[in-house]
Amino acid sequence: MELIDKLSILADAAKYDASCASSGAPKRSSRGKAGLGSSDGMGICHSFTPDGRCVSLLKVLLTNFCLFDCQYCVNRRSSNVPRARFTPEEVVRLTLSFYRRNTISGLFLSSGIIRSSDYTMEQMIQVARSLRETHQFRGYIHLKAIPEADPKLLEEAGRYADRLSANIELPTLTSLKTLAPEKELGTIHSAMGHMRQRIDAANDDARQDARHPVRSNNPKRQAPRYAPGGQSTQMIVGADATDDRTILQSAQHLYRDFRLKRVYYSAFSPIPERPAGLPQAAPPLLREHRLYQADFLIRSYGFQAEELLNAPGNLDLEIDPKLAWALAHRNDFPVDLNRAEPAMIARVPGIGLRSVQRLIDLRRLRRIRYQDLVALRCRLDTMRPFVITQDYRPADANLDSTRLRQSLTAPQPAQMALW
Amino acid sequence: MNPDSSSMAPRIAHARDFDEWRERARRLLMAGVPPPNVTWRDGDDSHDDLFSSPPASVKPPSSREPSSTSIRIGREQLALLRNAARYRSGKGEQARWPLLYRVLWRWVQGDAAATHPADADGRVLHQRWHAVKREAHHMHAFLRFHRRDDALGERYVAWFEPAHDVLDLGAEHFADRMGGSPWLIATPEGGVHWNGSTLDYRFPCPAAWTTEARTAAERANADEDHALWRTYFVSTFNPARLNHKVMTQHMPQRFWRHLSEGDLIPSMEAKARHGGQRLAQESSVGQRKGKALPPGRLASHRPPPASDD
Ligand code: SF4
Repeated sequence: MELIDKLSILADAAKYDASCASSGAPKRSSRGKAGLGSSDGMGICHSFTPDGRCVSLLKVLLTNFCLFDCQYCVNRRSSNVPRARFTPEEVVRLTLSFYRRNTISGLFLSSGIIRSSDYTMEQMIQVARSLRETHQFRGYIHLKAIPEADPKLLEEAGRYADRLSANIELPTLTSLKTLAPEKELGTIHSAMGHMRQRIDAANDDARQDARHPVRSNNPKRQAPRYAPGGQSTQMIVGADATDDRTILQSAQHLYRDFRLKRVYYSAFSPIPERPAGLPQAAPPLLREHRLYQADFLIRSYGFQAEELLNAPGNLDLEIDPKLAWALAHRNDFPVDLNRAEPAMIARVPGIGLRSVQRLIDLRRLRRIRYQDLVALRCRLDTMRPFVITQDYRPADANLDSTRLRQSLTAPQPAQMALW
Repeated sequence: MNPDSSSMAPRIAHARDFDEWRERARRLLMAGVPPPNVTWRDGDDSHDDLFSSPPASVKPPSSREPSSTSIRIGREQLALLRNAARYRSGKGEQARWPLLYRVLWRWVQGDAAATHPADADGRVLHQRWHAVKREAHHMHAFLRFHRRDDALGERYVAWFEPAHDVLDLGAEHFADRMGGSPWLIATPEGGVHWNGSTLDYRFPCPAAWTTEARTAAERANADEDHALWRTYFVSTFNPARLNHKVMTQHMPQRFWRHLSEGDLIPSMEAKARHGGQRLAQESSVGQRKGKALPPGRLASHRPPPASDD
């Protein structure tokens, strides 16, 4: 089979992984050096496909032959799809070629399980090793960690990769058992635990090195790096009946216990050869979007999953989770922007983290006025019932939440009067 | 000329770039010339030194040593001014130099809010810096190199049309990225060449560079890996998630023309709308012969995970 045909099959087979991030790598440059590639911690989206998703990495499977039979997966062994397999050299060639043309910032390599978990992991490592050692490639590498593989192999993978990920896919024991009979939550968790230990240890060493720099330039004398971009995972949304609260609690637990950098949510897209019991509906994109919003509130705003959903169920599709929380906690509002703690200002719907910082800076200089919120481009119509400034108090502060909710979700006239 | 007596006289000051502006602004500040009295012009001042001749007491621009009369400004504020100056004002927008001078004037008068994003001037500066950062990022992301390999050797060539003055921000980035590979970037304004060890900037861009870059971009097929990239782009797209709005928000249409994959987008969208949207799989992959695999055993030194306990 021609390389171009393999590429079309193995890129198609890899698109179900939502992650395409190239952020979090340490600073690297090839200026004045042999080899190719750089990273500066910031990810780059080199293109966007018409689904609105970022193309940052060459995201392919090494092969879509697979011994497993995960029901939600297009590559499961019982699925009648075209199969292909790259040689490690072919993946290296594609990565370098695309990278030089500035269409990608690195590689995200995953694979179906062939022969054995160890063999599959070794094949992926071979690609990464060749890129890093033979070609001195300093771009981004994300490798899929196969949880069942020998920990020694995960050890090696982390030395070449910026990021490792083992996908949870389904957050509960029962759904995993029905839909992915060969996978085990315990095995996935223990692989994540192992990677966390190695990442933490490497970070400690790196801090030590920073404090007592090693004189020698020999990289062997310096602390070995281990997946400096951290680990991530993915959960499928809408393949079974698991609710948002369960998904978010599971994400919260993963962030806390394994210090994951990111949890990705992937709305289940209908696949060819759909097994019985899996939905054929369009992917629940809005639900996925709300989960990302909630995830962001948990990671960066100090919210707990249980605050966002205090009973089993799903997030409100109509309004974003921060507004939903504020409407359910009217007693905590309005917030006086000239007095409140930064953490409380961050809970005001319509005010983002950057604006919080700017308001704090500003109130060191002078009192905050309503006009400042306009200048800072806060989302005024959402925010108005929830804040107090030096010259403004919400008139509708006593409005009950149901009516407020109605007014906030009613279609807005194009131009709103300021007050 | 005595600086004190002339501070109220109208001035014309020229600046081609930020460093020139900074030097002129420093002299004007020291002469106490308020912003409304200065008319700033873009470009060279070699023709009318008559109006802008520096007060005799001030050192020439080459002097870097700090003096007791030097104007003090924070590192952050300086970065804000320098980067906002890269913004090319559109019709009806304030020109860069008078805005910068007014902010600097206010700052020196002790008005620290002048650079805050909630201030009328500070807000414009921050918006401009934001637009400039975004444009530099666009250049890092959407510039496409085309491989050339001929009598001149192997090199990578790109044509790019930046909306603001970010050529150097792009060039630094690609020097880090491409290592020893020589490359050339041509733009409608300037050009830059990297020979593997140094950057060579030219303003305006030499005609030969422009021709080479434009030809490479127009005949993208000449690069043998062009088709591979286009195949990847089509295959990684999920038709079931079609979302035109989000795509164009992130990747404005003005860039499509120079992307190696840009011309594919309309047909991919049309195909997805006409039926392809039902599945995540790309339709050409679905047309290939499929292969279900027999239940196999996982070869492993450890027992396979029990599935029926
Ligand atoms: S292990 Fe499961 S999810 Fe992974 S490729 Fe095989 S069938 Fe798909």
